[in-house]
Amino acid sequence: MEKSLDLNKDTSRSTSSLPPEPVDIIRSKSCYRRVRLNVGGLPHEVLWQTLDRLPRTRLGKLRDCNTHDSLMEVCDDYNLEENEYFFDRHPGAFTSILNFFRTGKLHMMEEMCALSFSQELDYWGIDEIYLESCCQARYHQKKEQMNEELKREADNMKDREGDEFDNTCCAEKRKKLWDLLEKPGSSVAAKILAIISILFIVLSTIALSLNTLPELQETDEFGQSSDNPQLAHVEAVCIAWFTMEYLLRFLSSPSKWKFFKGPLNVIDLLAILPYYVTIFLTESNKSVLQFQNVRRVVQIFRIMRILRILKLARHSTGLQSLGFTLKRSYNELGLLILFLAMGIMIFSSLVFFAEKDEEDTKFKSIPASFWWATITMTTVGYGDIYPKTLLGKIVGGLCCIAGVLVIALPIPIIVNNFSEFYKEQKRQEKALKRREALERAKRNGSIVSMNLKEAFARSAELMDVVVEKSERPHDNHLSPSHWKWTPKGAASETSSNRSFNAHEGSPDKGRDTSSQRINVQKLEEMYNQMTKTQSQPNLNAKDRGSRAGKQRDEIELGAIQDHRPTVLGTREGVGDMKSLSSIDSYISCATDFQENPRFNHSPAMDIGLQETNRFSYSPAIAFSQHGNIKIGQQITGEREPMLTPITKPSYSENARRFFFPGNSSKSIIPKGGCRSDRGSGPSPLSDSSVQSDNSLLSPEVSVYTTASSRTPPKSPESTTLAATVFTFHDSSISKYIDADTDDDEHLRDISEASPSERLLAGSSPKRSININYQKGTNHLETAQKMLGQNCLFPNEGIRRVVHENHVGPEMARRPKVDRGRQHTLDKGL
Amino acid sequence: MWTVPKPKYRRGSCDEGEISVNIGGVRVELFGDVLNRYPESRLAELLNCSTQDHEVISSLCDDFDPGRKEFYFDRDPDAFKCIIDVYYFDEIHIKPGICPICFIKEMEFWKIDQCVLDECCKSYLSEKKEELTEIANKVKVILEDLEVDRCITRTQRCQRLLWRLMEKPGSSLPARVIAIISFLSVLVSALVMCIGTIPELQVKNADDKLVEHPTLEGIDTACMLWFTAEYLLRLASSPNKLHFTLSFMNAIDFLAIMPFYVVLTLTSLGTASMMELANVQQAVQALRIMRIARIFKLARHSSGLQTLTYALKSSLKELGLLLMYMGVGIFVFSALAYTMEQSHPETLFSSIPQSFWWAIITMTTVGYGDIYPKTTLGRCNAAVSFLCGVIAIALPIHPIINNFVVVYNKQMVLETAAKHEVELMELKNGRGVRRKCSN
Repeated sequence: MEKSLDLNKDTSRSTSSLPPEPVDIIRSKSCYRRVRLNVGGLPHEVLWQTLDRLPRTRLGKLRDCNTHDSLMEVCDDYNLEENEYFFDRHPGAFTSILNFFRTGKLHMMEEMCALSFSQELDYWGIDEIYLESCCQARYHQKKEQMNEELKREADNMKDREGDEFDNTCCAEKRKKLWDLLEKPGSSVAAKILAIISILFIVLSTIALSLNTLPELQETDEFGQSSDNPQLAHVEAVCIAWFTMEYLLRFLSSPSKWKFFKGPLNVIDLLAILPYYVTIFLTESNKSVLQFQNVRRVVQIFRIMRILRILKLARHSTGLQSLGFTLKRSYNELGLLILFLAMGIMIFSSLVFFAEKDEEDTKFKSIPASFWWATITMTTVGYGDIYPKTLLGKIVGGLCCIAGVLVIALPIPIIVNNFSEFYKEQKRQEKALKRREALERAKRNGSIVSMNLKEAFARSAELMDVVVEKSERPHDNHLSPSHWKWTPKGAASETSSNRSFNAHEGSPDKGRDTSSQRINVQKLEEMYNQMTKTQSQPNLNAKDRGSRAGKQRDEIELGAIQDHRPTVLGTREGVGDMKSLSSIDSYISCATDFQENPRFNHSPAMDIGLQETNRFSYSPAIAFSQHGNIKIGQQITGEREPMLTPITKPSYSENARRFFFPGNSSKSIIPKGGCRSDRGSGPSPLSDSSVQSDNSLLSPEVSVYTTASSRTPPKSPESTTLAATVFTFHDSSISKYIDADTDDDEHLRDISEASPSERLLAGSSPKRSININYQKGTNHLETAQKMLGQNCLFPNEGIRRVVHENHVGPEMARRPKVDRGRQHTLDKGL
Repeated sequence: MWTVPKPKYRRGSCDEGEISVNIGGVRVELFGDVLNRYPESRLAELLNCSTQDHEVISSLCDDFDPGRKEFYFDRDPDAFKCIIDVYYFDEIHIKPGICPICFIKEMEFWKIDQCVLDECCKSYLSEKKEELTEIANKVKVILEDLEVDRCITRTQRCQRLLWRLMEKPGSSLPARVIAIISFLSVLVSALVMCIGTIPELQVKNADDKLVEHPTLEGIDTACMLWFTAEYLLRLASSPNKLHFTLSFMNAIDFLAIMPFYVVLTLTSLGTASMMELANVQQAVQALRIMRIARIFKLARHSSGLQTLTYALKSSLKELGLLLMYMGVGIFVFSALAYTMEQSHPETLFSSIPQSFWWAIITMTTVGYGDIYPKTTLGRCNAAVSFLCGVIAIALPIHPIINNFVVVYNKQMVLETAAKHEVELMELKNGRGVRRKCSN
């Protein structure tokens, strides 16, 4: 005991700065018979010897790892003192995996998704073949199902995305033509074309049917009936249309061979060809000798014209899914036919033996009674043949019942297939519509967030590389010390360390934050690059600037930012600046943030406020800006930037634009009052107070803000920018600006004196990454994880600050004000 | 931490009756008198021997922390949380999500009897167990196939090889070829049987009677010889002769072959001993019908047909129900129709048995039109009978269909599961071997 205590002290000292020595690790492992595994927050305790049972799995390897690096390869974090190893994985699956070590039987949690379970198995290095049979069937079924679904989805995506028109000439026109002909939903013209096409199909089939009416037929010179000339014209027109359609499709198709192979296009071809073949045959063989044969061939081709009714499948999902269902359930269809065939065989031979001695019976042979059996088993019952003897009637009765049974049995399986596919088809249609609507909205310029998402998806690999490069080594290096803090009230410790007290900056902490910032910076640069490329066309050059920090803000609110050009355009129409679409987009944006606990206001409320108080806030913006500038050294002042999880550029933009041009008259009040108001941190800055503050604005501030608003953001380098604008500030600011160039530097310079700002600085990059993550880029997961680990519990830190200085109701609204202010500054710069 | 409420009936104070256990990282404090309600269980044993020597304790638990007086068990804490319920409520419910088989293993570890499991979970468990046994059966069959090489004597090995050749089409290429040939011969013989009855293809024999065409006869004989050979080979190679002859598939095979030989012997006997020719011919006729049985031989080659037989076997009750409904309906409606149609002078319903036929044809919605009602009342009756027939058929058919679908799906699942099980076994064996090697 004594020794182990010693050891603990030892490790704790060493881990504070350096990774533990292999000796320590070995000693710690030999000290305990058991090991604590923390998987995604759930603690587990297991004997080392249990883990030894499967030495080649990840947990088995954990036992053999004796150096820091190898340990870090196996687990995500560890703490020798607590004998605890951390894995950042799903805890639910781990229970069953640990049970595999204990009992040797791998069972699967029922509610787990098979795919995610298989991923977990991969991670822990366990082959899925070990799954017990009771769970294995379910697992494979689910997995196959999922794979199939994913494959179908991917196929669909490929179909949609795969229309590449880059290889040959006039790609633009061909793409347009393709859209026009193949995607009836893409435009009104396409829809009209589709309807015309349907009408032609219906017309031609009607003509085909009418052609066979004896009254409408004419007799030719051989006494044979031939086509009505009017109907022949209709036919010709229809065929001409079909041919044109087919040729245009073929010409505009991106991949000729794929087009040629497509089932729908094969049907099209089959619908057109018979006509031409008929013409060719009749024209080329005028001689009387071959006439009869030709006529027969022509007749066959006439029948093939019926195929054109299948062209309707192109315009009906129902028909398509029917076709697909039949294709998919050919097994069951085969079964149905087999059952029927066997039934027919048996009953027809039975009835033949029963009936064959009857006078003038119609059951002359077994093949002859096949017809009877078929008609009876399908319960059609024409009555042209029916049994007459008692034995035959008994057989007939049994045949009826058997037929009902046999036909009914495999049909539910087919029906099931059909309904599944139909549902899926419907779902996809809806999804497609949604996507199209989104695209339209994007084209109109109200949504960028989707753009961003795609950008991320595309550059995910790039992102991965950066994350790995920048995050991994750093994390490895520092994590033991971090890990040491976490278990026991580390949150309070760190936050207090970082935010309030004087001893800011023990060496390792300093390194921690700085290195973290570097990583963050890298990530952000990536991010900025992407957003720039994505949203460049929509952006006003003046607004754009080249300041990374500002861009980040814009990214966070990508949606609204894009709306800005229109705002600029309608400057006089202040009242209606918020179009509905921008609100919508804001919602979509805000929901992205909802998960982030740091945002202690609901997006819905924001919108309401945004609508009603747009103008009443603008003074507050100016005011807070002023306050910050004036009393930047005070802790209360610096608190605001910390509460700004979301910036709302467009909102503040509107407000500011409206407010400042005509506002200079209002700003007469001495700044003394302003400062006192500011100084009392907990002052409830409600709407009314903001309004009153409106009049409190000092001339200096308004001058400053108006001036800044007119200053075009020329200088690309953030440090120089800060220098130009915040000239009246302490020069030491620049250091912070250097440290995290693109993060809101005004925040930093204002709060330069207080260490809590640094905490925020640490956390704010994380915020942006968080958002990335929520936007669906899983690739950033690791980055987020690392950052989250590094800036320990930033939430707590912030909240503590908040509670100390601002009280209650103000909180919800405050961030907005700050946000506005922040952005105003951004603008100004 | 997770504490348990103290039962009210706890009498007095029992200081040393408390033990603390650590199950896979979850710490629990347990009271002795509660644990003693099931003295057979592992925890109770642990409690009772906690004062004794170290050996016993270490046999009961995985680790012991003397400092904290804590017993450590390397088990699943989730399952334990369910199992501990037995001490308080006398019954156990399986937590949804835990595989019941796995849970049973946990219960065995804690030495708690399975009968305390609640009814609702028991049915679930038995379902799973059934599935497992079915898988095990399949596995056994597969394993038997794999054990060919372990036969000792040469004859046994030959027998095995032959068995595999005849019965397991998937085992080798020749076996597959044999299966295909056998399938084709079934089809051909069935076709020949049908075609042979077409009058145009028949020839007249000496007695001026139409008999089958000689070539067709020849093909039929060839098929029959093939069937016989197949059957005999199967019989010879089967490990259990009695089981073989009694099994359903082989009974069908036998029935398909037998008529041919019986007819052969009868005709030869008839010509030889001049028995009564009419009797012989009648017997031959009856036996000819039995040739139909050869169509069922197809079932051997189609898993769908086997599924159908399984499904029908498992839904015999519903089939009976169907027949009963139909029977009742037929009786009622034929009687009604007969009486109602009596008023019409040219009625087609001459008697009630005669109108049975009409009732069947109407109720199954076949409707040949050979007998149909002519009076208004009779037509109303026909409409009602049609409706009743649809309902009477539809109602019992649903469970039958359900059975079929279930069996059909299960068959597929079982197939993969059994294969997987074999793989798993191989893997484990391999691992065992490897471990031995490393040792």
